[in-house]
Amino acid sequence: MKLLKDKVAKLSFVALLAASSAAMLYTPTAAAHGEKSQAAFMRMRTIHWFDLNWSKEEVKVNDTMTVTGKFYVFLGWPETVDKPEVSFLNVGIPGPVFIRQGSWIGGQLVPRSVSLELGETYEFKVLLKARRPGDWHVHSMMNVQGGGPIIGPGKWTTITGSMKDFVNPVTTLTGETIDLETYNLDNTYFWHALWYALGLAWLAYWIRKPMFIPRSIAMESGKANTLITATDRKVGMAFVAGTIALVATAMTSTNEKYPITTPLQAGLLRGMKTVEMPAKTVTVKVEDATYRVPGRAMQMTLKITNNGDSAVRLGEFNTASVRFLDSAVLEDTTGYPDDLLAEDGLTVSDNSPLAPGQTRTVQVTASDAAWEVYRLADLIYDPDSRFAGLLFFFDEAGKRQMITVDAPLIPVFI
Amino acid sequence: MSASQSAVRSRAEAVKVSRTFDWMILFTLFFVVLGGYHIHYMLTGGDWDFWTDWKDRRLWVTVAPIVSITFPAAVQACLWYRYRLPFGAVVCVLGLLLGEWVNRYLNFWGWTYFPVNFCFPSNLMPGAIVLDGIMLLGGSMTLTAVVGGLAWGLLFYPGNWPVIAPLHVPVEYNGMMMTLADLQGYNYVRTGTPEYIRMVEKGTLRTFGKDVAPVSAFFSGFVSIIIYFLWHFFGRWFASTDFISSENL
Repeated sequence: MKLLKDKVAKLSFVALLAASSAAMLYTPTAAAHGEKSQAAFMRMRTIHWFDLNWSKEEVKVNDTMTVTGKFYVFLGWPETVDKPEVSFLNVGIPGPVFIRQGSWIGGQLVPRSVSLELGETYEFKVLLKARRPGDWHVHSMMNVQGGGPIIGPGKWTTITGSMKDFVNPVTTLTGETIDLETYNLDNTYFWHALWYALGLAWLAYWIRKPMFIPRSIAMESGKANTLITATDRKVGMAFVAGTIALVATAMTSTNEKYPITTPLQAGLLRGMKTVEMPAKTVTVKVEDATYRVPGRAMQMTLKITNNGDSAVRLGEFNTASVRFLDSAVLEDTTGYPDDLLAEDGLTVSDNSPLAPGQTRTVQVTASDAAWEVYRLADLIYDPDSRFAGLLFFFDEAGKRQMITVDAPLIPVFI
Repeated sequence: MSASQSAVRSRAEAVKVSRTFDWMILFTLFFVVLGGYHIHYMLTGGDWDFWTDWKDRRLWVTVAPIVSITFPAAVQACLWYRYRLPFGAVVCVLGLLLGEWVNRYLNFWGWTYFPVNFCFPSNLMPGAIVLDGIMLLGGSMTLTAVVGGLAWGLLFYPGNWPVIAPLHVPVEYNGMMMTLADLQGYNYVRTGTPEYIRMVEKGTLRTFGKDVAPVSAFFSGFVSIIIYFLWHFFGRWFASTDFISSENL
């Protein structure tokens, strides 16, 4: 028997060591925000982010950086997602590694939720102040009530320094400058400790005497009245009166110390200023669209008509924040995240300048591993198998115009 | 030793065993209540208790006492009817607050770095002491429900005001006025908690000017009375012992 016990003990010890080692030695960083897991149609047919810029790739604690860009609220918004009538401009970061010092849509500060209009384009800016050192994936993000988070492109940003040095000074309307990082902390600890101590004192008074067995016996033998003494009642009265007095006194002294307080602020912001995009002179009709599963490529047949006065070429197809470029027309110089950029991912059967007044039908292929990596190919499993995106055309002077496409997508499996 | 013989051989030994039993039960009770009450409160009170920018004059004041009087009522009923011990509410709140502080400090601050001054728990202790005190002094569950339940709702906001008042000082921020608590919610990014999720300052209570907190507290107190009754029956049911007649076996 002893031999068996020893063996069990030894094996248990070995198992414990193995479990601890496994837990300690392999601890990969969880850095993603589920952007690849979000349904492809959500990313393709809701908010289209473009012209994004992250002002810095490395920033010290207490220094700031901005994420700027534009987003188009897709006119063909899916029926299965609530309209963005109550939305909140957010950033996708792993907790408060930055603090959000400001966020603006169309130049207006948006600390609260906003109402967005379908078919409109908005300019945004988010000002971030570095707080916690590390390498962080910083995404633009729009939360939509009834729709969930709609995450935009993310870029790796490094914060250097020490979090101990972080400060968040704020000057109140009563003229006091405080550090919001530590403000009110001692006061919070004091009141919680005081009340906890009073609770412990109450408990201590009762548990110093025998509790469960003798009292249960007394109850069952009809001696319940003997269990509460006159002293118990006096102590009870003192605690009740003392509690009410302490609450009243503390409230009065707090009101004297903070005579000016306001309620929490809430409410929806409407009428966000939109961006006036250049007039559209190009029309595009999607004749058909297929997604070739083995080749990780989407092919569209587009009938393009140029109604402007300058020849145009197709330079970019942007969908779900993945940018497919024709490098002969457009090269990215903004430092857009590599994993979301297919520099030569766009092939047009005839991308010679389309003269004014001319109509041409072309085969456009957007191919890149990003279809798989970003799980856009999962579109074929979505409840509404349509694709959508932005086409950017460039005229001879380099002026850009944005055309949206939205059409059914047929998967090709063989 | 036969089954009919006592397990102890002297009165001193009986007292010692009884006290050991006391500590074992109290220890178990404390941590069982800590776990159960904490989960219950996080699921029902949740964000209102987590964040300072949810601690408003209307919904926090209304919701938090109503959903938190549950376990105190049940444990109080159990301890009073079985043992005449009037510390059920306090032991619940001691357990809840310990669990909450461990959670807020180790998880909210230790793992995700939200400042503690943004995510501290609500203080329920004044209401708990008064609830137990009224149980002791009145000895009546009905009186405790009516007076204690009302007091539970009424004492909640003033009991927390010394901690949250400094965070309701206004600040001008990029051309908008907000409280420091609002600013905490805006500064310290919660990716999964957009601003519209906040349920604050909503409702039709507009005829009392700025003094809506006392009205909300009274309403909360009234509902707390009803919830107390309901949950005290759970406690009594849980504390009852029934035997099945051998004839029914």
